[in-house]
Order: sequence, then C-alpha cells, then structure tokens
Amino acid sequence: MLKDFLLLAGQSIVHRKLRSWLTVIGVFIGITAVVALISIGLGLERTIEEQVAKVFGVDTFILMAEGTFGPQRHAGGSAEEYALDLEYLRSIDGIKVAAALRERTGYVQGPPSADGTSLQGFFPVMGLSPELVTEFESFTGTLKALPGGRLFEPGDEAVVVLGTEIAERLGVTVGDTILVAGDESAELDLTVIGIMAPGEGGDDDSGGGFSAGMRPSADKDTIYVPYETMDLLWGPAEDVLVTLVRSDPGVNVDELADRAEKALKARGSDVSAVTYSDISEAIGTMTSTVSAFLAGIAGISLLVGGVGVMNTMFTSVLERTKEIGVMKAVGAKNSHVLMIFLIESGLIGLVGGIVGTLFGLGLSAVASSFIGRFFDIKLAVVASPTLIIITLLGSFAIGAIAGLWPAWRAAKLPVVDALRYE
Amino acid sequence: MSLLDLKEITKDYKLGKTIVHALRGLDLGVEEGEVIAIMGPSGSGKSTLMHIVGALDTPTGGTAFLDGQDLQQLKERQLVALRGKKVGFVFQTFNLIQTLSAQRNVELPMIFQGIRKGERARRARELLTKVGLADRVKHKPNELSGGERQRVAMARALANDPEIILADEPTGNLDTESGGPILEMLKRLSVEDGKTVILVTHDPDAAAIADRIVRLRDGRVVEEVGRA
Repeated sequence: MLKDFLLLAGQSIVHRKLRSWLTVIGVFIGITAVVALISIGLGLERTIEEQVAKVFGVDTFILMAEGTFGPQRHAGGSAEEYALDLEYLRSIDGIKVAAALRERTGYVQGPPSADGTSLQGFFPVMGLSPELVTEFESFTGTLKALPGGRLFEPGDEAVVVLGTEIAERLGVTVGDTILVAGDESAELDLTVIGIMAPGEGGDDDSGGGFSAGMRPSADKDTIYVPYETMDLLWGPAEDVLVTLVRSDPGVNVDELADRAEKALKARGSDVSAVTYSDISEAIGTMTSTVSAFLAGIAGISLLVGGVGVMNTMFTSVLERTKEIGVMKAVGAKNSHVLMIFLIESGLIGLVGGIVGTLFGLGLSAVASSFIGRFFDIKLAVVASPTLIIITLLGSFAIGAIAGLWPAWRAAKLPVVDALRYE
Repeated sequence: MSLLDLKEITKDYKLGKTIVHALRGLDLGVEEGEVIAIMGPSGSGKSTLMHIVGALDTPTGGTAFLDGQDLQQLKERQLVALRGKKVGFVFQTFNLIQTLSAQRNVELPMIFQGIRKGERARRARELLTKVGLADRVKHKPNELSGGERQRVAMARALANDPEIILADEPTGNLDTESGGPILEMLKRLSVEDGKTVILVTHDPDAAAIADRIVRLRDGRVVEEVGRA
C-alpha cells in the first residue's frame, strides 16, 4: 500500500513540474550549503589528522608539562618545564625509546684568543638525548651538522654542538674546547664536535608544519649538549620541555601513556602524556565545533526551504480539495490521505536532498582545491557515507515535517465539503 | 428489512450563521436490486440524501439503516469501511483523478482496501472491459471524451463490488448520445448483477430507467411513482 501511496504522491509531484522544481530548489540550496560546509570541515579535519599521524605514527606519545595540552591549556600555551627521571621512564615496561629535551641558560666561555681575552656570556643551553635526532626525526625534522662535524652519539659526554651564530661569535670550530658553567661550582670543558646546520629553508620555520613547534629549532645562538651532560652541570632534570616516547611493538600506546603518566606523577613529575588519539580528539573537537557552527548558519537556509515546502503543500491541498473528497468517498481513511500528502512533501524534500548532496559534494571538492591552492596544502576531499545518508534521511524528514500541518488539514477535511469544493 | 431504511430523517447544517434544514423528516425504503430515481428541484435535499445514504454524512435526527447497520451508531472508522465496500459513487462531474490513468483510477478504491496489486490490476481491466474501454486503460482522463470518463467512473464505482450504486446526475454533463449508454449500464447493473441503483436526476429520460421515482420537495418525499 505504501508503494501505491508513493506512486500517487509521485504522480502529483510530476504533474506540477514547475512548482515542484521551484520548491525543490528552495530545499536543495540549503542542503548544498550544509553538505558543502560539513564536507569541507571533514576534509580539513582529515588533512590535519593525516599530518599529525605522519609525525606521530601509531606507537609514539609525548610528555608535556601538565596543563599545556587540552582544553585547560594556559593562555599563550608556551612550553612549561617539568621534572623528569629519564632513566626511570626508560625502565617502564613497554617503552622502547625515550628521548627528552631540557633547557637552561648557562655561563659560556670561549677559548682564549690571540690577545689572551676570551668571549664569555650567558647563552641558552639545550640538552638533547641523542635518540631525539636518530629516532624521532619526524618530530625534530632533519637535524644535521655542518660538514666536518657530527651530532651526538650515545655515550658522548664532554662534547658540545653549537649553533652557527654562536660558533662564529665564540670563534670556535670543531675540535676546540669551550667552558660551560652550570649551578654552583659545576663547570665543564666541552669539546666542540659539530656545528648545527641551519634548518632547511634558512631561518623560516614555517615549512616544518606540526614538527616546527617540537624541534630544538636551529636557533643559531643555542648551545647543544648531550642530555646526560646537563645532569653534570645542573643536576637532575627539573627543566624538561618535552619528552618523546616510543612503545615496544604491539603495545597499546594509550594504555602505556596512561601508565607512564601515572608512574611519573607518583614520582613528582607534573607531566601529561599526549598520544595521537588525544591530539586527533582535540582536533576533532575543534574542527567539528567550527563545522557545526557553519552548518548551523547554513541550516537557516534549510529552514527557509522547509517553509517553502509547507507553502507548496498548502497550495497543493487547496487545489486538490475535491480530489481529497473523491478519495475519501471511495474509501480512503484520514490516515491514508495524511500519508499520501506526507509522502508527497517528503519526496520533495528527498529530491532536494539528493540534488543538494550532489551539488554540496561538488562544491566542497571545488572549494577544497581552491583553499588548497591558496594555502599550498593538499586538502582531502571527503564524501562521508554517514553524512550522505543522514542528509538524505534528514531532507526527507524536513519535507515530511513541513508537510505535516498541510497534510493534517487535508486529512481532516469533511468529505462532503471537500466534494462540493470547486 | 429493506436494504436501505430511512425513517423521519432530518439533517441540519450551518451555512454561515443560518441553520439550513436540508431534510425535514424524510422516509424512504429501498429494496435490494431496485433502481430508484430521486427527482426534485434544487434545494429539495437530493444531494444531502445521497450523502447520508453513501455514509459520507450522518443525519441529525431519525433512524437510518443501511444493510441492517444503524448509520447513527457507526463510528467514523466504520463509516469509512462502509463507503469503501458497500457503496459506489458516480458523480455528475466524473471526479476522476487527473494525474492517474483510467486503470489506476479504477484501482484507487481497491488500494484503500489493501487489495494486492496483481488482483487489482486484473479486476480494473476486467471492469474497464465491461464498460467498453478495454482499449483505453492507459489513457489519462483528459485524453478521454466525457462519456468515456463517466464510464471510467462507473468502473471505479464497481471496483469493490458494492451493493449500492449512488449516481448523482450521472448524465448531467453528457449529451444524449453518450449519456444513453451510461443509463443502460446502470439499468443492467440492477437487472443482471442485482445491484441497487439510486439515481439522482433532473432528467425525465434518465428517470425512465427507474423502477420507482421518488420526488422530493423541501426535504420531504412528496410523491412516489412506480412499484409500491
């Protein structure tokens, strides 16, 4: 019977081609806007996630100072320091590699020059785990020493790598020795083993994408020492900026991150572990909020389309008053009449939905390539089946809801009056 | 008991602020298989009578029994069932659904009774053949002549094999040439199939097919001519 009603409703729509199409246009503009905006939002989200995934892989997490990631992030979001026992972290079951980065400002003295004086001053000193360079290249970017030098290797201790600028100012080259002083009376003579090559693309960090914020950036006036050497100068680490951890194969990284975070907290480290799923969740929340906001605005046009459907249906009911009378005279129940009109308005909505979805997906593809070209990124084009199904069901529902009142009026028409109607 | 038994029927309805007394104590009995013609001037209550007999409307007062059922006591749902199965309407202006083919128009009453598609189509074609439109099943109403349209309407009235055919001025919009076969068909329905036919008409020629002519005036029966 439903099939017959569908046919009756469909025939009525086809019979009023022009008006039906105009109504459909009213619906599909709204649907197009909603679908396009949501699709672009999804594309953006996927693109960002792909970028993050490229950096993270599936087996890595970051330890950051508590409160620097997530919704309770401090204003400015600058990296805060935390205490860390890296050896203990490495001993936790399931961790394959852990590498950390800590920073201090230290007194530095260059070798005496010809006239007996030497350059001295306070400079940022950064302690790097050698593994940071060898194991976590996706975070740090490719760090290289200038020809003739090298970067840290495990076991290095009394060595130093210099930024290009500071090397020049101190007037040292590979093989020279500089003095670095830490807390109290701790001071070390360190042998220069390499000069850090400036980052690709010169000073400009923007090419680094996500990893830009992570890298012990090629700050040209920074002094790099092995992570363990920092202990000798400043004692146990209380100034760690970031720690990168990779799990053993097959370990659930989220579970491991939780475990590591708890264990470290118990030992007084104010850290929070951030895994790929935390980040993608945060990105998802952000992009879907934006998408929902935009789609909400587009939804207004959908509302207008719905009112259009209602108007058309009222006209249709009025025009077909006599027809309704006839249907009732030959045995149609009120519910039959209601159904026929609801299906009719629902179909108008559905056709609007189909056309709107097609246009919306097309529009989002065009917009994505345009945005992509503008910002020089490749934006993913997403045609989410869930979105399509929800849109189609939703557009049918919009039509049916808009038709509810007119259809109810049609169903309630007294048959005698309807038959008399001219 | 007669197929249709109306006693002291009154029907009032509001027209704006005035109350119209359309029927004022009408008595009428109709036997099964009978053809009766109802005649009378405009406003005499013919159409109101048709609506009550067709279960489209309920009387204000009096008793009305159709096939043993008290129309006053029936709920809307039962009235719907009654007009779907027991009564077939033929209107002066045909009242076919313009968007549907002849066959689909005939199928319409069967759709509302939930009859299966194959059965419906078979019966619709059979009825259209019976009214002489075997070659017009796929035509839309606007592709048919007036006489043909009324024949489609006849086929539609018979779709659910009703006991009573209510024909309201069935030849009112037709010339004699196309109206004649319609009247013949109505007569044959009574004679061959035992259907009861109630025919409202102004036309004495149309009334001539009736076994009995009932004249109305001011909502009452004023004269009955024919078989008592």
